[in-house]
Amino acid sequence: MSLVLSNLTKKFDEFTAVDDINIEVPSGSMYGFLGGNGAGKTTTFRMLLGLLTPTDGEITYNDQTIGYAMTDKIGYLPEERGLHPKLQVDEQIQYLAKLKGMKKADIDKQLDFWLEEFEVPENKQKKIEKLSKGNQQKIQLIASIIHEPELIILDEPFSGLDPVNVEILKKAVKNLNHNGATILFSTHRMDHVEELCEELCILNKGQQVVSGNIDDIKSDFGQKELIIEGRHDISFLKDFPGVLEMKQNRNKNTIKIAEEKYAEDIYNEIIKIGYFKRFQVMEPSLNDIFIAKVGRQYE
Amino acid sequence: MNKFMTTFWHTYLSKVKAKSFIITTVIVMLLIILAGNFDKIMNLFDSSEEVNTVELEASEEFTQQFSAVISEFSENITVTDEDGDMLLTVEDTVPITATVESDSEISSGQQTEIEMALDSVNRQMVVNSLDLTEEEAGLMAAEINVDFQAAESTADEDSTGTGGMDEPNYLNIVIFYVTVFVMFFVVINYASQIGTEIAMEKSSRVIEMIVSSVSPVNHLFAKILAIICVSLTQLFFFVLTIIAVIYFVDIGAIISEFGLESDDRTLPMIIYSLVFLLLGLVLYLSVSALLGSFVSRMEDLQQALLPITLMSIGGMYLGMFNLFNPDNMLVKITSYFPFFTPFVMPLRVLDSGTSHITVWIGIVIVIITIIIAVYFAARIYKRSILSTDKGIIKNIKKFNKDG
Repeated sequence: MSLVLSNLTKKFDEFTAVDDINIEVPSGSMYGFLGGNGAGKTTTFRMLLGLLTPTDGEITYNDQTIGYAMTDKIGYLPEERGLHPKLQVDEQIQYLAKLKGMKKADIDKQLDFWLEEFEVPENKQKKIEKLSKGNQQKIQLIASIIHEPELIILDEPFSGLDPVNVEILKKAVKNLNHNGATILFSTHRMDHVEELCEELCILNKGQQVVSGNIDDIKSDFGQKELIIEGRHDISFLKDFPGVLEMKQNRNKNTIKIAEEKYAEDIYNEIIKIGYFKRFQVMEPSLNDIFIAKVGRQYE
Repeated sequence: MNKFMTTFWHTYLSKVKAKSFIITTVIVMLLIILAGNFDKIMNLFDSSEEVNTVELEASEEFTQQFSAVISEFSENITVTDEDGDMLLTVEDTVPITATVESDSEISSGQQTEIEMALDSVNRQMVVNSLDLTEEEAGLMAAEINVDFQAAESTADEDSTGTGGMDEPNYLNIVIFYVTVFVMFFVVINYASQIGTEIAMEKSSRVIEMIVSSVSPVNHLFAKILAIICVSLTQLFFFVLTIIAVIYFVDIGAIISEFGLESDDRTLPMIIYSLVFLLLGLVLYLSVSALLGSFVSRMEDLQQALLPITLMSIGGMYLGMFNLFNPDNMLVKITSYFPFFTPFVMPLRVLDSGTSHITVWIGIVIVIITIIIAVYFAARIYKRSILSTDKGIIKNIKKFNKDG
């Protein structure tokens, strides 16, 4: 019971937008697609929905190929935002939700619920072109989740929103996931993935840099960060075995070590000098992982 | 199928409920009612009063002859001895010189009637003054008889007798005229509507949400069908008004005034006109939908629809300009070009020399073109809606290759 992408490749003429992606999205998980512009996130999502035909590889959901027979179970928020500008909010939602097989009365009830949830109930009868961009985005998100889909695909759901609205949307997404929906979302913000996801896939120029459970990735990565705070000078640690990089900022030293085992040696070494206020082994940030894998700064 | 109907009703209702639809429909309905009451309205604005009696100031002989002749040319002008609405003064010259004085303006119809009567009397007087016999006078008045014979036309001389073209039937011409005009109006109006509808979905990006729920081909066909039904709804209201006008207004007066009478080609003319009207709509709307899907910005829409606009204008003018000459070579050739067929082929139906097979070939050509256009649209639509490339030819090449 999951979404599986195997050997997925998409070429546009000579350009390879998505290059041999293999991932498995477990049922009920919150899966993050991380990547900068042109990383291949949108192309992958479009292939997932059957809007683009893969050049190679295949996609299955619960062991079936995704087709129009199962679109009622899928909710999709495209990256390119837009609703029919001349329609009223309720007309637009009615139409899009009916296309997902919902009944008129249910749509109305659900729409009221979600408008309330997103704190915009006054917009129900307004024309879409009269709404602010952020409010249009909320309406579009409602359109993609109103039919209670099992699988929700959100392409950059939080981009272009102010922090308050990002929080409102994050809460809604978390609730949907809590109620059993499998959620796949893309973002270029690492903090969103770290906050929301258990599983992730980092894409860079169409290639899969790393994927899997976020904790496993971090522990498998090996590199750790060590923070040592104290008044003693420990600059001699720079040449210590396992130390990759060291930054000093007044009393705080940040040391990158190749593996966790070196932390113990360092610990044993510095307690000989005297008292230190802080000695902490930190998990690497996604940013560190990205830099290490791709060889350049993320974004 | 369910989703097809959802899109169909959504499009249909939003178009039919639109103000622009209601306003244009009402305006055209009013125009039809106005046209049905044309004679009455003309009378309302006709400032020249009917001048019915004419007082003569002329020789006894002239007065006698004129009184006898005027009734042949005019139904309502009578000669009176005194207090006439107008005064006709005639000097006894050859040819005669006449002056007509009246208080109110004399309508041009009556002016002609008086001139014709005077002309007739004048001729009679000239004949008299020359002392010709009736036979000689008859010979002078006789019309010449010319028989133009080209070598190839001798074959059908037997059938038609005179060898020339039939006298056109004005009712059939009116039917043709109305059909072509309605088709042009509907094609121009709804081609741009369906183009707008599809380009709007694409440029506003809502299309990506839609095609993630329903297949693009399904969506496209639902849209086209909905717009065709909107146009038929509008036509239905027009036809309803026409029928109402025929029933409630004495339209016989107008019809007889213009000399409209049905003949044995009127029924086929009506049927074929309706068939070509429908086919023309489907053809033009399918192609407009396809062209609309190439546009990524609304500003480019008119340009993309230009081929449709030009072709419908061309078709309409081909039909209009050859109205009284339906058997010329240009008409024959263009009637087989699918985009002109719906406009030009009904014109050929006017000509009794056109066989039903010719018309059916035209119908088949249009149907085949519609099938090709729809197939092509379905094939290309799926890809073009997610593309932001410009350039129609480039798009067609690319998507056809990918398809």
